[in-house]
Amino acid sequence: MKKFINNYDDMISEMLDGFSKANSDIVERPFERVLIRKGSPAKGKVGLVTGGGSGHKPALIGYLGEGMMDSVAVGNIFAAPSVQICMDAIRAADGGEGVLVCIGNYSGDLMNFGMAMDMLADEGIKSEMIVVNDDVASSPVTEMENRRGVAGEIILWKILGYLADSGADLKTMKKVGDQVVFNTRSLGVAHTPCIMPSSGKPSFEIGDDEMEIGVGHHGEPGIERVKMMSANEITDIIMEKVLVDLPFKEGDEVSVIVNGLGSTSLLELYIIYSRVEKTLKDNGIKVFKSWVGDFFTSMEMGGFSVTLTKLDETMKKGVLHPINAVHFPS
Amino acid sequence: MEHISKDAILESLKLGVSELLANRQYFNDLDTPIGDSDHGDSIYATFSVVAKTIDEFNFEDDLGKLFDSVGKAIIFSGGAAMGPLYGTAFMDSSKAIEGKHQLNKEDFLNLWSAFKGGIERRGKVKVGEKTMFDTISPFVDAIKESVDSNDDFEVLVQKSVEAAKEGMEGTKDMESHRGRSSRLGKRSIGHLDPGSASMFLLLKTFMENIIKK
Repeated sequence: MKKFINNYDDMISEMLDGFSKANSDIVERPFERVLIRKGSPAKGKVGLVTGGGSGHKPALIGYLGEGMMDSVAVGNIFAAPSVQICMDAIRAADGGEGVLVCIGNYSGDLMNFGMAMDMLADEGIKSEMIVVNDDVASSPVTEMENRRGVAGEIILWKILGYLADSGADLKTMKKVGDQVVFNTRSLGVAHTPCIMPSSGKPSFEIGDDEMEIGVGHHGEPGIERVKMMSANEITDIIMEKVLVDLPFKEGDEVSVIVNGLGSTSLLELYIIYSRVEKTLKDNGIKVFKSWVGDFFTSMEMGGFSVTLTKLDETMKKGVLHPINAVHFPS
Repeated sequence: MEHISKDAILESLKLGVSELLANRQYFNDLDTPIGDSDHGDSIYATFSVVAKTIDEFNFEDDLGKLFDSVGKAIIFSGGAAMGPLYGTAFMDSSKAIEGKHQLNKEDFLNLWSAFKGGIERRGKVKVGEKTMFDTISPFVDAIKESVDSNDDFEVLVQKSVEAAKEGMEGTKDMESHRGRSSRLGKRSIGHLDPGSASMFLLLKTFMENIIKK
């Protein structure tokens, strides 16, 4: 295993130490495993919280900052944070208007945050949960509740950040947020696994000339294993599956995230974006905003994902809302 | 032997926990083909908390208190999917032995039935979904049979551990319907479920030691 770490058991703690010190103008670290936007909680604003396992840099903590997330509960590599960490994260974001917990659809995260929210309700802290399930590969469209959350979480955080800043209440934010999740569909492909620091072994086995369509960002297997293809060929397959899933239709306006899974170069990601944009244009779909880069990775996994969100007027304002987050462009 | 002493239960729980901590790498390895290689890490994180809680246990307190404090510690500090599942299981089981300073066979049945119930409640899980529940469920059934047929403690332990083992081994042929491994669908068949293996090791070590004391 080639990784620049010291001891495995210290890696999250040391990473958080570096992160909070390097970005001390934007974030604070009030607890060992909780990072907050500097100045959180803000009075008169719904608090935005996320959390989950580590290993997805710049997610999740890179989205802390003005206009985006207020607080993040940090777990071990790919493992949910404990109830205590979730409770601390929610409390740290509560400015009196309630807290919206926005997490991916993973059983550990749902259980730990769910129990934390129940306990905090007894203390009088109001909270709601939005569960992101944008990965079209992880279950058929008839079983959306089983789908995983992947890079679609980012667009949710972005739009909710705007709503929170504009003074929307918890109920409104939950409603719009659920709609953003519904309007968001993602699909990824990977040709190289990440190496799990716990075992030093790859997160999945795959041949040198193969890739897996629909891989999850913890290395969960996807829907199909195929031989390597060109950028355009694989992008066309991904776009075909994503477009029919909602479905996205002529006249729709969308945001696009072309996300690298860790070790795929920006050079490649822009080639992919070029094809994504062409496909959308050919289908009469307008790109309102696009982001290309490593936004939600799986350590050093090789591959990428495409996330489309159908935008309405409110969501468009959210997309354009200026932010000062650690690792996301304004 | 009619009763198992508090001392024996405390020591056996300690040994069970030590066994789990010692097998971190084994559980990580089991988790590699169907999960994300971190089951051992999650077990280690969860049961390090338990080891500390057991060490801090006030021996004057009853056994319900022991299981309750273990459960609370896990829920708050465990994390992963393990934390809520084991935490709820220990807390629910504590109610079944509240006020007791020694346990008879019926107490064991009540204890482990409630433990099983906690996992069922929190994980919304059934038998046959390739989880820890496939170990605990036949284990509890076997204890019930032993209690009904008035087996000796030694026989109860032997039968229930055997049933737990068969339950665990049965997960190998199952298709996963829970957690990350469920994403593999049919490709999960042929691999032992790591959660069922750690549950088995805990139950086996605990049960085999209570009768040694």
